[in-house]
Amino acid sequence: MSQKLVANLKSAFGERLLGASSAHGDEVVVVGREDLLEVARHLRDRESCEMLLDVAGVDLSEHPSLGGSADRFEVNYLFRSLANRSRVRVKVRVEEGQDVPSLSGLYNSANWAERETWDLYGVPFRDHPDLRRILCHHEFEGHALRKDYPIEQGQFCTVPEKLIQDHDIERAAGRADSAAEELHPSDLLTVNIGPSHPATHGALRLECLLDGEIIVDAKAEIGYLHRCFEKEAEDHTWAQVMPYTDRLNYVSAMLNNVIYSHAVEKMLGVEVPPRARVVRVIVSELSRIIDHLVCVCANLVDIGALTNYWYFYNVRESIYYDVIEPLCGSRLTTNYSRIGGLAHDVFEGFEQAVERNLEKLATAITEVTGLIARNRIFLDRTVGVGPMTTAQALDWGFTGPCLRATGCDYDIRKDAPYLGYETYDFDIVVGTAGDTRDRIMCRVEEMTQSARIIRQALQRGLPTGPIVVDDPAISLPPKEQVYGSIEGVMNQFKLIMEGTKVPAGEAYGFGEGANGELGFFCVSDGSGQPYRMKVRPPCFPIFSAYPEMVKGLMIPDAVAILGSINIIAGELDR
Amino acid sequence: MESITGLLTKIFGDGMSPMALLISGGLTMALIMSLVMAMCAIVFTWMERKVAGFLQSRYGPMRVGGFHGVLQPVADMLKILGKEDIIPDEADKALFMLSPFVIFIGSLMAWAAIPFAPGFIASNLDLGLFYIFAVSSAAPAGILMAGWASNNKWALYGAARGAAQMVSYEIPLALAAIPVVMATGSLNMNAIVDAQGGGVLNWYIVHDPFLFLAFCLYFIASIAEVNRGPFDMPETESELVAGYHTEYTGMRFAFFFLAEYANLFLVSCIATAVFLGGWHPIAGPVFLPGLVFLIKAVILVFLQMLVRWTLPRLRVDQLMHTCWKVMVPLTLLCVLGSGIWMMVSGELL
Amino acid sequence: MKKDYVESTTPPEGYDPQREQMLDFKVEEDLDKLCETDSKNFILTTVDELFNWARLSSVWPVTFGLACCAIEMMAASATRYDIDRFGAGAFRATPRQADLMIVSGTVTAKMASRLKRIYDQMPEPKWVVAMGSCAIGGGPYFKYGYHVVKGVDFIVPVDVYIPGCPPRPEVLLDGLMRLQDKIRGRKGKFVQPKWVQDYASKIPYVKPEKGR
Repeated sequence: MSQKLVANLKSAFGERLLGASSAHGDEVVVVGREDLLEVARHLRDRESCEMLLDVAGVDLSEHPSLGGSADRFEVNYLFRSLANRSRVRVKVRVEEGQDVPSLSGLYNSANWAERETWDLYGVPFRDHPDLRRILCHHEFEGHALRKDYPIEQGQFCTVPEKLIQDHDIERAAGRADSAAEELHPSDLLTVNIGPSHPATHGALRLECLLDGEIIVDAKAEIGYLHRCFEKEAEDHTWAQVMPYTDRLNYVSAMLNNVIYSHAVEKMLGVEVPPRARVVRVIVSELSRIIDHLVCVCANLVDIGALTNYWYFYNVRESIYYDVIEPLCGSRLTTNYSRIGGLAHDVFEGFEQAVERNLEKLATAITEVTGLIARNRIFLDRTVGVGPMTTAQALDWGFTGPCLRATGCDYDIRKDAPYLGYETYDFDIVVGTAGDTRDRIMCRVEEMTQSARIIRQALQRGLPTGPIVVDDPAISLPPKEQVYGSIEGVMNQFKLIMEGTKVPAGEAYGFGEGANGELGFFCVSDGSGQPYRMKVRPPCFPIFSAYPEMVKGLMIPDAVAILGSINIIAGELDR
Repeated sequence: MESITGLLTKIFGDGMSPMALLISGGLTMALIMSLVMAMCAIVFTWMERKVAGFLQSRYGPMRVGGFHGVLQPVADMLKILGKEDIIPDEADKALFMLSPFVIFIGSLMAWAAIPFAPGFIASNLDLGLFYIFAVSSAAPAGILMAGWASNNKWALYGAARGAAQMVSYEIPLALAAIPVVMATGSLNMNAIVDAQGGGVLNWYIVHDPFLFLAFCLYFIASIAEVNRGPFDMPETESELVAGYHTEYTGMRFAFFFLAEYANLFLVSCIATAVFLGGWHPIAGPVFLPGLVFLIKAVILVFLQMLVRWTLPRLRVDQLMHTCWKVMVPLTLLCVLGSGIWMMVSGELL
Repeated sequence: MKKDYVESTTPPEGYDPQREQMLDFKVEEDLDKLCETDSKNFILTTVDELFNWARLSSVWPVTFGLACCAIEMMAASATRYDIDRFGAGAFRATPRQADLMIVSGTVTAKMASRLKRIYDQMPEPKWVVAMGSCAIGGGPYFKYGYHVVKGVDFIVPVDVYIPGCPPRPEVLLDGLMRLQDKIRGRKGKFVQPKWVQDYASKIPYVKPEKGR
């Protein structure tokens, strides 16, 4: 499908496509920066690429093959078409100081993604409506992901940034509710929700302009938990990045591990042994269950139904205690998956422990849905609050439960199956209105579906065999060999000191995270370390839509919506 | 107050002048009521945490004071006593300092007309019920003062919400008690309780279907009146941080805390006296009246706690909708309905 | 141009190496010493003990979750661990009514001044627990974290350090008990250490604008 798209592009643009290639199953085209807007419009209108997944900048100054050229930066646009099931990556190469046309007029999701590229690389975007820093604070100097950024300096933020300016207030006063009496700018009140507010569950900030209880304007600020994952990844070997992926979406760390190793395996071209695949499916789905449990219970706490928190959290606690902890020795940050397989085999009694917890999960779901599903107050608070149509959601770059709640049956596990998801029988849970209730109920139902997948995997029985590929260039040798043979010692030394030599090239590996499409755009220069690692966090585009979603609603609605879109700060800010 | 003055007369003989007797009796009663209020806060905070723990399959306080954390509220109160007292620079200092006491005193005054046992009432007013509803309206003023004086946006929002809510919900609260007044023919609390003597069938809650409905409406409105979940608009933790007492620390915060739990008990006591037969037991003669009264009131408090920890919170506009478009018409219906019922059954006239 | 850089490799000016020893101070010995010095004044000592008992029995944390550790903090208040058993389960949303700030996660350069503000808003006596290696010293983000503060003790004084990444809820409970030990032995006025004032003064206090 993707090849056809590239062929169409070639026939439409001819010579103006500077290059087209295909590697690791990804289709890539290179265009000049002046043609970018036209190509993007063509992709959106003719090729039905509804979604701009992400914008990823790369600093080419130290790149082995492209390093010497005049073009210092490369900006990658990841397009996705649902109707044609195709993906294409469009590259633009620019010199330092040259600007790139902004796509924020075409895709809403481009707005924040371009701001991020500006923040971290200093690539300016022409005609961008609001080109400010996004992850680093507003007093930050330099562009942090450039290869020549001096890493030692810590730059403190001293004063908070004022998001809503006076002219915003005046504009809002002119616009808001003209049917009512004249609004004066002084009738409006700015209020900060966050960065430390009980409803944010992490450090986010939303500055609202309020007319009474109604939010007439809102702006969000993120980056309070910007922990420089991408910089860390560039300075560690491929295997050492694994623990950092735990801390992206720390609620479902296992899923991040699995999808990250999936992305690296895509570059290496290795196939994971069947036993590891099945265990990966089981732990991924468990992890998805945990993520949904935490999201729904926190959301219900925000709405005020406090007791549900304990009912759901107990199950999560039980899964951690009975399964995750015996499996990998840690509760939250699992670090269980490895490139080419798993860290170690499952413990004895794993199947029974999982089965036991699925029963507990079913009980908890019955209890909580009994408390909320037909509760009038709950329905009043959530039905019709923050609705989204599928078209809007795609434009904003929604994926995962938030997209499915709008009625779009897009699930990567069905759409582009990996780890053998195509062999499992499960349903894609969709909502109808895309409002808060649909988002909550989608998550609740998805847990049941995940439990179904796990049950099927357990019924088939775990395949016997190794849990990691038998390739000395990828996987660590067993301990007996390390202690017993010179070859094993050498092998281990090379892998630990230099890391897995991932062949030079780039690939975008993705999977269905708990929140949506979690992708890793990896660039390798052939050394043991990633040259560039860009995460496509599902929260990021979703949260960029949040200020628009809450306009015209009340503070309680904003709180309810914020819970239902499940923003995990670690993943949002990286 | 009769029992207190009687006791004082017994102790000091007949030598006391009536005025001295009145003043000393009043002071004793006020002291007792303040103690009751403090005890409310202490007992009910502990109870709240234990009830929450019970609902949430955990224990709640266990360590402080040996058995099941019984000294937990004592430790909380002592600690709050020792906290730094912060008055924000930008606050309206006089109002900021005054408002906790306004709320506290409004709540304390209402206790004067609550009959705990035969003769054990601080002031046996003829307009007892009316008096209670009147003085408890001081609370919105205190909340508004607190929210405004704090010079904090969250506090202001909490105060505006709280004042609107409490003023609105006083109407169904008072209207729900009117059928009882009609049935008794008196606003005197003692008279209302006395009219319900002689077994459970004489309690006003089972007097007629409209009075049962009135009790339910009263219960809902009373939860809203004391700002507890699902109607905790003024302090909605997940929305307004802590609402009107966002800026309050130490003892000043403790007064809000105290008043909240005292009010919780107060509305339960009113419900007990007005609908549930006061100190009259389910059957048989009056036996340990104070204890019977307390048990009934504590059961109501327990119910309120169950509701708080179970239901989600309403949105602020839905709250007003519930009050003006549902509760007020229904309470009016109760007044009308029970009036017709009494006319038909011949109780009136 | 702000020049308030804190070098991550060399200790900042005014850095007191003695402070390192606070990390492994021995609770019992320290407490014994403290109890000896002030035991002459019997009545005040008893009152002190009473208040200290009240303080340690009701440590109300502020609802302040930053990162991964916040999830474990939530777990500590859930059924299996139930921090409420120690009287510390009353999470207050407003710092004005809280006694304890659990810094649960990585403190970034953007968050640092906000965190300081929250600490300033808490009334004395107040305590800070640095939960997890990020809050202790930058943790896994120590070397390349250009946006990460290498330890929350650059910003606020820390009473108890809880190692782990993230620490298990049991360890958080243990940290709470160590904090209780510390409160039990506390005497006299509450004074911020000098080094904290030095670093804290680098983040200016900005008065909120009027009328907004």
